[in-house]
Amino acid sequence: MAENTVRLKIKRQDGPNAQSRWEEFEIPYKSGMNVISAMMDIAANPVTKDGKTTTPIAYDSNCLEEICGSCAMLINGKARMACSSLVKNLEQPITVEPLSKFPLVRDLAVDRNVLFENLKKVKAWVPVDGTYDLGSGPRVTPQKQEQAYPLSNCISCTICMEVCPQFNESTGFVGAATISQVALFNDHPTGAVLKEERLHALMGDGGIHECGFAQNCVESCPKGIPLTRSISRVAGQVMVQTVKDIFSR
Amino acid sequence: MSTAASPGPPTSTSANDHPHGIAPLRAGQGHEFFWRRLHSLSGIIPVGAFLFEHILISNATAINGATAYAHQVRFLGSLPFVLGLELFGIWLPIAFHALYGFYIWYRGRANLISYPWLGNWMYSLQRWTGAIAFAYIIWHTYTMRFTGVDLHEVPGASFGKVQHELFITPLFLFYVVGLIAASWHFAYGIWLFCAKWGITVGERARQRFLYICIAFFFLLSAVGLASMAKFRSMPQQPTDPDGARQIELQTK
Repeated sequence: MAENTVRLKIKRQDGPNAQSRWEEFEIPYKSGMNVISAMMDIAANPVTKDGKTTTPIAYDSNCLEEICGSCAMLINGKARMACSSLVKNLEQPITVEPLSKFPLVRDLAVDRNVLFENLKKVKAWVPVDGTYDLGSGPRVTPQKQEQAYPLSNCISCTICMEVCPQFNESTGFVGAATISQVALFNDHPTGAVLKEERLHALMGDGGIHECGFAQNCVESCPKGIPLTRSISRVAGQVMVQTVKDIFSR
Repeated sequence: MSTAASPGPPTSTSANDHPHGIAPLRAGQGHEFFWRRLHSLSGIIPVGAFLFEHILISNATAINGATAYAHQVRFLGSLPFVLGLELFGIWLPIAFHALYGFYIWYRGRANLISYPWLGNWMYSLQRWTGAIAFAYIIWHTYTMRFTGVDLHEVPGASFGKVQHELFITPLFLFYVVGLIAASWHFAYGIWLFCAKWGITVGERARQRFLYICIAFFFLLSAVGLASMAKFRSMPQQPTDPDGARQIELQTK
């Protein structure tokens, strides 16, 4: 390997039903280069290592500072954010593949709509819409804010779902990100009005009970969110709700 | 036709073929919550409670000798509704826990090679130890409860009947493997139960409780092994009715 070049092996697929193929690239190294900026350089001159002209690689990305959650992909076999994957820290050739558990759109772009659907199912919001001014909300104590802040850092990258052995076609598990958002909005003094509905939603098929506590989610979360704490807390809330339901329904 | 590599937007027909992917949460649908939680609970009560009694009380009695063991077996056999206790307290719960456990295993997609982290190892190990323990339990129940001398009728033959198997080295090793698999499955199962039912919520609480569960695993294994060592260290005790009666009538 020449010292000032970067080798990438990228999985290409022209569409959802097309055949996939691997393409190798060798490009000049730039200081501070990450996987996204490497692919930007490839797009500027889309020629493979063998000198064959190809198309620029399709992928989702936006902020390039690990805050928008768009660019999750499999880099050297592991799910991570491409923008914060610095080339100098990666073994070469760097293999880049799309996330494996979401419908493929093209190349590295996948359809992660299932997370949005799940967040809607658990009503992951604070209901404040009305036809008149609802006034100011209740105070949130600094202690509660400190508890909520880490959970609010979720960037919807879906890495916690990709790495979860229970998130698959067979279980249709909701995944750690959604459960953690339930913890966040159940804690909110106004959001808590929907707590029961959220907990009941998580009792449906594919709900919180599908968690096998392999803990890959918390290991791989790029934002360091305490996902297993959220799962355990919400699981406790679900069990308390179950007991309440048994005696009061 | 689909192999023609023409990049571009999918045609209207292929948009319908778009893979649906993993289904979103089915809020308000299905009964999996009930069965998963029942599975989790059944591992503690009654299956785990039975394992606790079986290893730490009944089998440990063998350390006090053949007569003490015979008296323990006689006591268990004389419990009221003993067949009902066995059926609803042991056999059916174990069968449910094991068979539903295989169903859970079948629906998971282990990914240890990509993500070889400790929790992920434990996830797979819990499935393998469960399978080993179940295979052992089926064989052990068949040989001890349903074939050979009926120990409910002749409690005095218990010590000799167990010895008969433990003196055969491959069977002895199967006992050891079965004991360790079941002990780990139960000990880590308690840890999983507390994590999944919202009892050990914090990271440090879970970490501390893991040490307690590992200590419990060593306790179960050690007492089980000590009982087995006792069986193997004594000369073969009789299993015929007259010899068994002699053992039973001795005082401790």
